[in-house]
Amino acid sequence: MSDITLHNNSSLAQKYSVVLQFAAVIAFGVLLANLWQGASRWPAEWVIPLKLWLTEFFNWLGKEAGIGDYKFRDLTRAIAWFLKQPLTWTEYLLYRGVRSWGMPPLPWVAIVVGIGIVGHWIGGWRLALFSAACFLYLAIFGLWKDSMRTLSIVLVSVPVAAIIGLFLGIWVTRSKRAASIITPMFDLMQATPHMAYLVPIVVLFGFGQVPAMMATVIFAMPPMARCTILGLQTVPSDIIESGAMSGCTPRQLLWKVEIPSAHQTLMLGVNQVIMQTLAMVVIASLVGASGLGQKLLFSLQQLRLGAAVEQGLAIVLIAVVLDRLSQALAHRQPQHMEVKQTWARRHRHILAFITVLVVSYALAKYSSAWAILPKKMTITLGRDMDYALRWFSKEAYPYISPVRDFITVEMLIPLRNFFLWLPWPVVLGTVMLAGWRLGGASVAGLTGYLVAMIIITGFWVPAMLTVYLVFSSVIICVLIGVPIGIWSARNDRVARFVMGACDTLQTFPSFIYLIPVIMLFKVGDLSNILAILAYASVPAVRYTYLGLIRVPPVINEAALTNGCTPRQKLWKVELPVALPEIMLGINQTIMMALAMTAITALIGSRDLGQEIYRALPTADTGRGLLAGLSIAAIGIIADRLISAWAKKRKEALGVE
Amino acid sequence: MTTDIQIKCRNVWKVFGPTPKAFMQRHNNNPSAQNLSDEGYIGAVQDVSFDVHAGEILIIMGLSGSGKSTIIRCITRLNDPTSGEIELEGEDLLAASPEELVELRRHKMGMVFQNFGLLPHRSVLSNVAFPLEVQGMSVKDREKRAREMIDLVGLGGREEYFPRELSGGQQQRVGIARSLAVEPDVWFLDEPFSALDPLIRAEMQDEFLRLQKMLKKTIVFITHDFEEATRLADRIGIMKDGRMVQMGTPEELILHPADDYVAAFAQNAPRDRIVSAKAIMEPAGDGQKSQPENSVPANAKIGTIAAQIIGADTAVPVVDDEGIIVGQISRQIMSDALFGTDAP
Amino acid sequence: MIKRAIKTSAAILFAASMITGVSAQTVPESDDPIIIVQNNWTSQLVLSNVVGKVLEGMGYTVEYKPSDSQLQFTAIANGDMHFQIEAWEGSMKSAYEKGLKEGMVDAGTHDAVTREEWWVPSYVAEKCPGLPDWKALDKCASIFATAETKPKGRFVGPPADWGKNYAERVEALKMNFVAINVGQAATLWAELQSAYDRKEPIVLFNWTPNFIEAKFKGMFIDFPDPDGDKCATDKSWGMNPDMVNDCGAPKKAWLKKAAWKGLAKQFPAAWGVMQKINFSNAQIAAASVMVDVDGLSPEEAAEKWISENAGLIASWKK
Repeated sequence: MSDITLHNNSSLAQKYSVVLQFAAVIAFGVLLANLWQGASRWPAEWVIPLKLWLTEFFNWLGKEAGIGDYKFRDLTRAIAWFLKQPLTWTEYLLYRGVRSWGMPPLPWVAIVVGIGIVGHWIGGWRLALFSAACFLYLAIFGLWKDSMRTLSIVLVSVPVAAIIGLFLGIWVTRSKRAASIITPMFDLMQATPHMAYLVPIVVLFGFGQVPAMMATVIFAMPPMARCTILGLQTVPSDIIESGAMSGCTPRQLLWKVEIPSAHQTLMLGVNQVIMQTLAMVVIASLVGASGLGQKLLFSLQQLRLGAAVEQGLAIVLIAVVLDRLSQALAHRQPQHMEVKQTWARRHRHILAFITVLVVSYALAKYSSAWAILPKKMTITLGRDMDYALRWFSKEAYPYISPVRDFITVEMLIPLRNFFLWLPWPVVLGTVMLAGWRLGGASVAGLTGYLVAMIIITGFWVPAMLTVYLVFSSVIICVLIGVPIGIWSARNDRVARFVMGACDTLQTFPSFIYLIPVIMLFKVGDLSNILAILAYASVPAVRYTYLGLIRVPPVINEAALTNGCTPRQKLWKVELPVALPEIMLGINQTIMMALAMTAITALIGSRDLGQEIYRALPTADTGRGLLAGLSIAAIGIIADRLISAWAKKRKEALGVE
Repeated sequence: MTTDIQIKCRNVWKVFGPTPKAFMQRHNNNPSAQNLSDEGYIGAVQDVSFDVHAGEILIIMGLSGSGKSTIIRCITRLNDPTSGEIELEGEDLLAASPEELVELRRHKMGMVFQNFGLLPHRSVLSNVAFPLEVQGMSVKDREKRAREMIDLVGLGGREEYFPRELSGGQQQRVGIARSLAVEPDVWFLDEPFSALDPLIRAEMQDEFLRLQKMLKKTIVFITHDFEEATRLADRIGIMKDGRMVQMGTPEELILHPADDYVAAFAQNAPRDRIVSAKAIMEPAGDGQKSQPENSVPANAKIGTIAAQIIGADTAVPVVDDEGIIVGQISRQIMSDALFGTDAP
Repeated sequence: MIKRAIKTSAAILFAASMITGVSAQTVPESDDPIIIVQNNWTSQLVLSNVVGKVLEGMGYTVEYKPSDSQLQFTAIANGDMHFQIEAWEGSMKSAYEKGLKEGMVDAGTHDAVTREEWWVPSYVAEKCPGLPDWKALDKCASIFATAETKPKGRFVGPPADWGKNYAERVEALKMNFVAINVGQAATLWAELQSAYDRKEPIVLFNWTPNFIEAKFKGMFIDFPDPDGDKCATDKSWGMNPDMVNDCGAPKKAWLKKAAWKGLAKQFPAAWGVMQKINFSNAQIAAASVMVDVDGLSPEEAAEKWISENAGLIASWKK
């Protein structure tokens, strides 16, 4: 008995000491800021001009660097040339045709039916009809040519990214040194907003289809590498050993045994590459990719939101079709052929496609509507959507406006002022202390280093504004997302609907959310936050849902037999057990919110996202890259602290 | 038993830890258990020496973590031993370069794995032909040879199937066919039947014995199942905690277990099917012949002669192939042999 | 260094065109594509398509490359892109001049004049008498106020790096306004559209020619004329003796064309046309209207424009 009280006392004292430690750090920081101006604002003359150095370095690299007569620029041009070749062919095939050979591009009918045939070959009738229907949308909504432009980039980027990712992944599994360089680089790349990569690419490769493709490849490649690493590491040892004992050389072992055995995970990687490539469509158009992304931005520019939605939907549908096809391909199991099949039956898909090709070319000769649908035969609901939105914004504004004003004036502005007031020693100290308490010296060291980098490279104010925006957004995301997640876990119907909505929200080009938000909430922090919300609340919902449905049934049953009411069960049993998972969801939410700040920069703000967005047109590499890395730093700090917490908590709960 | 030694292992060690080689050198290639635990090393295989004779089935038995899988991987060099010597047909296996090793595996070794290790994306035919394919054999030749092997293991007609379309027993037949496709001199089997259910396991054991009768390979077979070991082995080596505790014929292990660990296994072994009359008889006779109907052959397993001996009033003479009496067995000896000396 | 690289590459291209035997008299002189810059606003897209289609009509191969409004001039100087039909003084002056220094060529000035200034929808005039004078605007600043700017008015300004010192102007002219910056033009239009639908007072950054004048009625605010460089450089000039920026933007700014200098050698006939191309305000606005009001695509609008202005186009080709 006395033991227990003693233990309670000591843990109370421990808690007390944690509070004291934080209080001491904060008090010290505030005091320092009062005594020394430099503690509330890092003195400008102490800022390391890393920004300038980087910009100059990239300019030098792009223009003058080289060995002898060979310039680095020649190398970039060679790479660009090399990438351009396959692109030329997909363009010829899909929408350009080769005029000098008198070869027209594939008629839309051929492509729509063709994708259906591919769907049937991979996954049967359902997939066939679904794929063809999605592509039919592209044709009848008059988005054919732009879709084919986008598709031709996708068709080249995906294999290139997949192959590079595959080799990088192989390299990581073969060489410890490669692993120690590449793995952290991927972590960093994942946390850096994609827009930030665009700047150096513009400096080195210029604008246009090929640089946009390179940006896409760089961005889409890490998931492939990750899946390759995972796939190769999880090939059963029996299979590898049997390969070795069959007398394989290391090379034979890799290509004939390991890679084919890892085929499912590799295909998952390809699937990820496809999704990432399509997620890049709009961003890539900022550096000159033509196609749906460019048209979408143009529509937004002209406030034709309805048109933008249709174009966005086209991107989503292409993504969904390629996603389903590649997933079906990944899950396809090898099956032996019945021996007595006729040649025609075994080759029925290719025969069907050739037939369609011949027929559609013949039809296209007879009437060009079979080659590409003329404008008067296409439909659009864009204008109606625009009117609907304008009507809504007009009618809803009187109700929304007071809410907006209240939140902005009473909550956001004070919060923003608070974040801007925070002296850097307070932030540095609190973050390091939290890191130390949660994950020991290594976490404290890393997080402290990252905060310090932000301070001394002169990004403190935009960084704090970013933290303020992300902090506010994440709080709202949690307030909205977690209850929806709980609701979904209670009700299968709701779950199906909500998860579908989550998928759509995430694949939809996030640029589209900006316009309605501005029309309803005007330019201001609340608009930024709401646009972030539309995108970043998804993981909060999803992980809450997953966390709850993964609560072991035994625990639930035990709670019920103990006489919990449903409410008690939720609050006292399920949520605490699911909390680590929910925290991971919040972690993801933070990551996405950070990434989204680069896009909400289009609304107008003064945060890091704006720094990146501003760096792009002026090709200010240092500004863009460092702002991107600062966002990555904030993300990594949040990630390390939350992961350390979740790990501790999971160990305490004894799950996983 | 022939004395032609095919594989020779001497003082083989496999140590896991930060710097195993240096650790071994520090302790003169013979660290004590104390050394290992003090410095945080794990001795998966410790000072193991034995020979494998041509044409014999040597079974290495032990529970999981005993080092049996590690030792077979040292001999095949799927793992490199930390110290010791291993020779294959008089050649130093540990000195083989990676290229020589590939050659050795291509022509001299075959191996069967517990979870079959089949390539999921290849058909049965292609799996069996795989070792020949990597040697660069032509499609026609390798497929011909693969078909022979598939027929040999009784899978004719399933050539075009994929592994996932086959039952466990069938998959292991493919594994066996593949390991034999290169006509290896030495055949390694790493718990080949452990993943199968008991009925199929018995069937596969028979199949194995049938094949061995035809092929007469030198075999190193790993199992954790003592009954399986006694059923198949010419000789058994028992491993515990990385060390070879005892090696001998099944009979020797049962009748003269080196320690309690071996005795515990031997306890539950089907003695009647393993122990022969020769092994338990007491000396008797001085070169004279006996009537066949009154005696038992020296090679007979005691299970087959127990009834005769227990039913006889006096000790029954044991005779060799020529009918000359070499010993005798009394009722008491027989019951001791069947139930153990300390049986009630 | 770069200049030399450009020189040599231009020389090589020129030499190559000679070797392949294409004389300067036959059009096209080269099969290489002429690369025309495309930006992301309507008039530029239509007009660049017009130029492209005219050149294609002459037999040239034309490629369009989308580009950013600031970086494009460096790309043109390097020869990565060849021709830009619309370079605006207000927002691109410094980038344009930088491009010239890097070797880009000035391909002439349009008749069209441009203006970038504060702008209000016409319904605002009812609530705020005396417009378009800036002092009248300042007097009714409170009708433009929002919760966070109260009691000052809210001016929706352009992206921060468009080189407009509006915050400084507000300070220099002691106006009762807060200038906020949007991230991009679309944001301006979204603000305008929603305010316009609600007949809510708004004052924002706008320029002409663009599609706005075709869709929304309104007026630019008149600020003191900058009087050349004086307002920007001379503190004592203007109504605030202690500050610069106490003035508006020039009411008539230029609209220029820009070209790669290799054009003259590689595509002399095309270069001749490019130099003669000249648009007026009305023509540019008409081009924008076809897209932004009539809903044509920029390509279709270009074709329509060409068919309606056949005489003008023939005069360019002379």
